This record gives sequence, structure tokens and C-alpha cells, in this order.
Amino acid sequence: MKNDTESQWRRDIIKYRHFYLFISPFFILFAAFSLYPVLFSLFLSFMKWNGLTQWKWVGLGNFTSMLYDDILWRSLWNTLIIGLLYIPPMMILAFIFAQVLNAEWLKLRAFYRAALFLPCVTPMVVIAIVFSLIFSSEKGVLNYAIMGVGHMLPFLHLKPIPWLESESWSKTSVAILVVWRWTGYNMIIMLAGLQGIPMEYYEAAMVDGAGVWERVKSVTMPLMRPTFAFCGLLSLLGTVYMFDEIFVLTNGGPGVSSMNFGLYLFNLSFTDFKFGYASCVAYTVAVAVFFITLAGLRITRQREEAK
Amino acid sequence: MLKTFKHHTHSINKITVARISLFACMALASLWFSGCMPGTGEPSVPAVVTPSLHPSGSITVWSWNIAAKSLMRLIPGFNKLYPDVKVNVDMTGAQMQTRLMLSLACGVGAPQVSQLQLTDAPHYIDTGRLADLTPVAAQLRNSFPDYLWENCEKNGHVYAIPWDTGPCAVFYKRDIFQKYGIDPKKIDTWEDYIQAGEEILRKSGGKTKMLPLGLDSLENMYLIILQQVRGQIFDEQGRIAINSKASQEALAIIKEMRKAGICSDVQMFSQEFMAGINDNSIATYPSAVWLAGTIRATTKDFGLGKSRWGVFRLPAVTKGGLHVANFGGSVLVIPAQCNNKAAAWAFIKYALCSRKGQADQYRNFDLFPAYLPAQKMPQVTEQDKFFGGERVGVLFARDISKISKLNITPDWAEASTYIEEALSDWAANGMHSRNFFGKLEIRMQRRLGDPISPQSLRYSENNG
Amino acid sequence: MSTSPKMRRMLAMGVFYVVLTAIAFLFLFPFYWLLISAFKTQAQIFTIPPQWVPRPIIFNNFAELYRQTDLFRAFLNSCIISGGNVLLTLFLCSLAGYAFAKYPQARGHGKLFNFILASMMIPGAVTLIPSFLMLVWLHLINTYWAMIIPGSASAFGIFWMRQYVSSNVPDDLVNAARIDGCTEFEIYWRIAVPISKPALAALGIMQLIASWNNLMWAFVVLRTSNMLTLPVVIYLLQGEVRTPFGMLMAGGLMTTLPLILAFLFFQKQFVAGITAGAIKQ
Repeated sequence: MKNDTESQWRRDIIKYRHFYLFISPFFILFAAFSLYPVLFSLFLSFMKWNGLTQWKWVGLGNFTSMLYDDILWRSLWNTLIIGLLYIPPMMILAFIFAQVLNAEWLKLRAFYRAALFLPCVTPMVVIAIVFSLIFSSEKGVLNYAIMGVGHMLPFLHLKPIPWLESESWSKTSVAILVVWRWTGYNMIIMLAGLQGIPMEYYEAAMVDGAGVWERVKSVTMPLMRPTFAFCGLLSLLGTVYMFDEIFVLTNGGPGVSSMNFGLYLFNLSFTDFKFGYASCVAYTVAVAVFFITLAGLRITRQREEAK
Repeated sequence: MLKTFKHHTHSINKITVARISLFACMALASLWFSGCMPGTGEPSVPAVVTPSLHPSGSITVWSWNIAAKSLMRLIPGFNKLYPDVKVNVDMTGAQMQTRLMLSLACGVGAPQVSQLQLTDAPHYIDTGRLADLTPVAAQLRNSFPDYLWENCEKNGHVYAIPWDTGPCAVFYKRDIFQKYGIDPKKIDTWEDYIQAGEEILRKSGGKTKMLPLGLDSLENMYLIILQQVRGQIFDEQGRIAINSKASQEALAIIKEMRKAGICSDVQMFSQEFMAGINDNSIATYPSAVWLAGTIRATTKDFGLGKSRWGVFRLPAVTKGGLHVANFGGSVLVIPAQCNNKAAAWAFIKYALCSRKGQADQYRNFDLFPAYLPAQKMPQVTEQDKFFGGERVGVLFARDISKISKLNITPDWAEASTYIEEALSDWAANGMHSRNFFGKLEIRMQRRLGDPISPQSLRYSENNG
Repeated sequence: MSTSPKMRRMLAMGVFYVVLTAIAFLFLFPFYWLLISAFKTQAQIFTIPPQWVPRPIIFNNFAELYRQTDLFRAFLNSCIISGGNVLLTLFLCSLAGYAFAKYPQARGHGKLFNFILASMMIPGAVTLIPSFLMLVWLHLINTYWAMIIPGSASAFGIFWMRQYVSSNVPDDLVNAARIDGCTEFEIYWRIAVPISKPALAALGIMQLIASWNNLMWAFVVLRTSNMLTLPVVIYLLQGEVRTPFGMLMAGGLMTTLPLILAFLFFQKQFVAGITAGAIKQ
């Protein structure tokens, strides 16, 4: 009996050997650079190791260390603040532009789409340096514009803003850069969502005498909720693991005022070479983010079903 | 469309298998080949430096700021002795420390010579990826002060050569002291110093503070005073020894300074700090010798470089106590992967272990020679016009061998951030010193994973 | 005096287009600033009021860049790495995607596919250190392979190719080819690949942009100056004390232009790729 199933196995494998052959190159690399790292990272979470000398088992030591790691908590807090600063304006802007680009009568469509979209393809390192010029407090064009406005409207009492030099503004500067960079991307996703809404829904609403605003509110918004959820999820992950933007623009400074989780993890890994502790932090946060996402998705789904 | 496939009637499977395995072999072969390409993998050169009479080739040196400029100035002199070595000092580039560490870990990409902060040296030595300099450097042992040399060693082997050191003194403005009738010669202890500061503050109507001491400089001041009372952060075995009588004494002096209101709350090297050098908001700068370079450069920008400045020795904690401490300083190292160790060593030897090389660096850039014989050179001992004709070099060199050695461990940089945080917290929240170091040592123990020294007050206080 | 509804409509439209165009220009402004700063001296970059058009136009930045950095080499490195990464990704993902689409009866088919889908949840942050160590152990650090291989086993790529192949390559065609005596690999190579060109283009352009812009991984695994890619060279030009902004902008322009061109040519495919990412949920 056992022999039978075994030979059956063998026959099946030989019959579909092409399947296994075709997926094997992928799976070899996948095993080396995804599967094995996930397991090895878990193993490292219980070690103290700098990657150069012998590793040392510390049990749950790394996990208790995290509790006392102020900079980790600061970086997570900063991540949250940066997210709150940029996600709402970005989503609103992306939604408005998606609506506009979805309108059939729009002229110069290609131009508007390209303008919003080009930032997504440009190298972050270049654009962050351009922004550091624009944000320069003494000679930057942004403060020049603010002062110009202040000159015309003196009652506003506008002062030059120390965009990158002050702990209270550095997060805002990062947020502006991120809005600029990712609005187009979200706009494309939302545009696809909008195009998935059947015209009959709008027509039915028109028959009921709904105006433009009411149509958006009663037809578009509810049907777009999954798309919003998806964009929100992407932005959440994007904020937690964001790296290039902050690495080049502020490098987490001044102090640690704009250090997000991604940059902190990089510093732990490749500046401090705390491979054990960094793995532990990466794992814990990844699991936490995973459950937050799951909870978020469940809530949106429940709301959908309640409707 | 299907016509194109018709002539393939022979064994399908064999061909497919053959093709796939060919692909796999090609992939594997290319992996193998790339592993053998030059400049990859672990260093295959011996990690020990041996001297050579005729070094040649080119070397790259990573360094920064003034130190890099100083090295560049030495190249012509070096090339007279070693015309076949081309030296390239690389001072541009962000994230030098991270890149150096990455290159050490990868076994490729490090420069032939690199600068390190003295306080970072044990961290890098601990990686085991620096070249062992013992065969060529052991005989230089007595030419360098203990407090530097011992932090360049591990298990009796030498891995770094001290470059400059930061003996401390107080830079002061002569005109301010004259105006308010303060005699710097009478300032012997920190108590005298604080009294003088109060007098200046009173007589100037609160306009002139004695010293800059922002929240970020508290740790530096603490470490300076700690050395004067021979305290330690870590004991010889690398255990946390911060909770000590010595620490408490240092903290008490800082508390007095701050309570007296003589400290200007400016960050080190901030715009206000630099402005203070040129106006009369700050009277003195207790700091290391290298600050002289900053002062000279800053006053020159304002056209004021005319002997308004003087230097007096660091106040002691008690009468007859130590007037010396070290703040800063750096070293040069050769990574183990360096493929031209002979040339690298020739350069280090010329720059750091020759009287002329080191003495010139002091004259040009205020980098005080760690090499003891250089401290006797005229470039160091001559009168300094900028500081009112004082023999500043002699003043800084005095008692330099008495400087108390701080035990620097691989965890130093990280420990230092916790001390800095704790001190600025302490200063910002009412300076409650009770059990300050008890709490700090626990925090350091948790974060660093190092044990607490048996000398900690924790044990004696609990028992008594 | 009363404006006709038509007039009011036109006025509203005018305001609408003005606002829209203003926002569009705001988004384009950093590109403009990049472009003109590349033709300014350090002093011109930092004059107030700003020079909206560089006067005089300076070409020295490019000459300086050519003299001080090995930009041509960096460009070549970037091309080899991005090109290699794109080709390897396309090959691996289309081959495996084809297998998943056309051999549904194979043992473990479903489990393996779900496994790949689940792996999309793993963030790169978790695999960062072990991947790095893997490359050290394989002696691949500071080679092109260190940049080409790790990102190429893309779970999303497989998913995307499988979807496309199963809905666009008819089983009849595959079977007919088999009867005609094609090898399985030939069916993939001569039938599935040509049909999947649009999907390959979309995947390729996404991979190209990610690969070309990659900074963190390149910063970590490329160790000597002759191996660096354009973004790292640009990043390292920033000094601790004084940053030569004119040169940076000139280099930035040369790093950005190929991507903008690629984008303008493959706009449609790129949009398709992003949209596919959204549908997968």
C-alpha cells in the first residue's frame, strides 16, 4: 500500500516534471533570499551578534531590551506622526485628481497625469537633495515664497521657517516630500477604482436628481472604500519602512526628530551592527504591523457587510 | 503559426531537460565566476603589518575636516622620503563611519588607512578586522602617553596609532578679565572659577556669562571633571562603574556651575556659540586644545585676531589636585584587508610617529601631538602671538603624562549617548542628583548588556 | 448685467483649469529646479532673490562632475544592474508564472502558489540582514550579482504573470503545439512569452524603476567606487562640510533623465502594473 502511494507520487512528479523544473529557478532564489532569511532572522532574534565575532544566546534579552529602547519608541512615534501628517492630504489630493482625470470632458489629460505621476519614477536621492535646496532656511525658494506672501499680507506675521534645522518642523518637511512623491501613485490606483464603478449607478443617481456632490457622496465614496483601504494599507507600510526619503533629506535629524522606524532599523543593522537586536526589532514590528493591517481590513470588511 | 514547430519530432523531454540544466549550469557557473572576480570576498592578505624599505603603489586615506586637510599638507614632505607612494586623502562623502564598518564586515572596500575617534577605536578593534601593527609599532610604546596607547591595544596587540590628543585648559578673553579685575592666575580650583564667574556676571550686569554649557555639553564637562578625580565609566574589565563617589563629585561641581547662573545655555558649535567667541556674551571656554583652531578661524573672519585671548590651566577639583584631562583626539588604523600595508604604515609612521610630522600639524591646525617627542619641538613650545605671547603648547603639554586613563570599551559610543541623555534630562528637570547614577547604571546595564562593577556604590550603600 | 449660465459655466471652467494647472506646475517645480540648478554655480544657487533662469548659464558642473567622479562607469554599472535585474526577473517570473498557469494538475501546485502569495506579506526589513549575510557567504558582495539576484524572485511578478498567462494563452493553443511536437520549454518560449508581452512590459518597467532607484541595498552591498551605481555616487557627493550642489544637480539630472524617458515611452504599461497591484487584494 505504502509502496503504491510512493510510486504514484513518483509517477506524478515525473509526469509533471516540467512544472517543477520551471518553478525551480524561482524557488531556489526564493529560498535563498526570502525563506531562509525569514527563518534565520527569527533565530538571530535570540542572539547577541555583531556579524563578525561569535554569536551569543541571550534568550528573550533582546525583547526586554526593546522595552527600554527610547529611540525605538521615539522612532515609532515619529513614524505615526509623519503618517498622520502626510496620508490625509495625499489621499484627498489623489482622490480629487483621480476624479478629475476620470472626467471625459477633461482637456490636457496627458499633461496633468504626467505632472502628478513623474515624481513616482524619479530617484529619491536626487529629489531629496533638490528638496533640501528648496527647504534651505536662509536661501531656500520656499521661504522666499513665504516671505513674499508675508510681504503682501503683513497681518499674517509670516516668518522664515527652519524646515530642516528645527525639531518641530523636520517631520513636516519629510511629509511634504512624501506627498509630492506618492500622490500620483495613489491617484493611479484610485483612478482604476473609479473606472471599475459601473456607469449605471451614476445614471440611476442622476435619475433620482442627485447633484455632483451627492453623487460623489452616495455612489463613489461607498464603492471606493476598498480602494481607500488598499491605499491606506500601502501608505501605512510605506511610512513604517520608508527609508530613502528620510535618509537623504534629514538622516533622522535634527536629533532623532525625524527618525522613522525604517531608518532606525537600518542604523541598528548597518551602523551599529547589532544584528541580533535589529532582527528582533524587525520581527516584532513586522508582526505588530501585520496584526494592525489584519484588524484594519477586518473592520472595513465588517462595515461593508453591515451595509 | 504552428508550422514553425513541425520539424521538432524527436525526444521532447530530453531536450527540455537538457536546456533547463544548461540554464542552471550557466547560472551556477556565473555565480562561481563572480566569486573569483578580483576585489571580492574575504581578504587573502596577511593581517599583520611588516615593514618594508621601499614601499610603493598608491594608498587611500579616509579622514575628515581639519584632520584631512592636515594630512594633505603632509603629502609633499612624505613623498620626498617615499617618492613611489601616491597618497590620496579622501575627505568627501557622507556616512564615512557606516561605510567603513560595512567594508570591514564585507572584507572589501575599506581604504588603506582610516581615521577614527579615539573613543571609537576599541569598537573597531573589537571587530577583529583591523591590521595587527604590533611588529612595527610595539617599539613606539614609550613615545605615547598611557591614556591613549592602552586604548589602542587589545590582548597585548596594537591595532591603532594615536594621532592627536585633546589636553584641556580654559581659553579666556583678556579684555573681559582686565575690565572686571579678575586675575586668571588666582583661579586654582573649580570653586575659584565659579566665584570669578559670579563676579563677572555681577559686574557686567548679567550680560557676560562665564562659560558655554548647553545641555549637549554636560557630558563633556562631566567626563573632563571625572578624569580629574580619577573616576571611570567602565572598570578595567569593562563592567559599568559609573555609580561612584568620583561621579558624584563631578556632578556636584556641574550643579554648582549651573546654579550660579554663569553658564550660557548654547549648543556646542551652534551659531550662538560661535557668535559668543566674538562678542562679550561669554568670557571663557573650558575645552580641549583643538578649540584654539576654531577660535582662531572664527575671530579671523571678524578681523579681531589680536591677542584678546589667553589660556589658563584647567581648574582642579581640590587644591593640589589634577589640572589636566583629555577631551577628544583621534587615531589612524589600517584595515586587515588593506593590500598595501607597507605603504600604509610608511604614511602613518611619517604622519604620527615623527617629530616634524606631528609638530607641523600642531602649528598648522592645532592638532596637539600625541607623539611625546614632538611636544618638545619649537613649533609646539614657541610663544603664541594669538594668545598674548603665552607658550600655549607648553601649557597644554604640562603634566600630560598624569592624565587619568578612561577605560574605553567597544560600547563606549552607545554608553555616551545614554549619559548625555540622562544629564540633559537631569539639568532640564531641576537637577535632582539623588540616586542619579544608580538609575543611570541600571539603564546602561539594560541597554548595553554589560554587568555592573562590584565597585558600584549600589553595593556599599545598600550594606551601610 | 446678469451673467448668462453659459458665461458662468465658462468662468467656472476657467478657474478650474487655472487651479489644476497651478497644482500640476507645483508638482513639476522640483524638476524645473533640478534642471536649472545644474546650470548654476554654488553662488547662483544660493542667491536671494532666486534666479529663475540661470544667468549666465554655467556648464562647468558637468565638466567638474566628469573630472571628479567616474560618472560614465556609474552609468554603466546602473545599466548593467538594472538591465540584468529586469531580464532575470522577467525570465524567472514568466517561467514560473507560466508553470503555475498551465500545469494546474501537478502535485503541490495549490500549496506552492499559496505559499508564494503568503510570502508577499513578508516585509523586506525582516530579510535585510540575512540576505546581506548570504551575499557575504556566497562571496557576492561588491559584484553585480549582489544587486541583480536578491530582488528578482518577486512573488508579485509570479502572481502577475500567472494571471496574465491563464487568461490570455488558450489551452488549445498549448495543446496544439504539443501535438505538433514542441518541447514544453518551446511552448513557453515561443507561444506564452510573445503573447504575454504587455504583461512583461508592465512588470519590466516597474522592476526597472525600482532597480534603478535602489539606494539602500546598493549602499550596503557595493563597496568600491568602481562598482557604485548612479544614486550612490550622487548620495556620496554630499560632503560633511560643503556640498557641491551644482555638481550634485548635474549628476542628478543625468540620473533622472533615463527614467523620465523610460516613463514617457512606457506610461501605459506602468499604469497597468500599478493597477494590477491594486487588484491583487
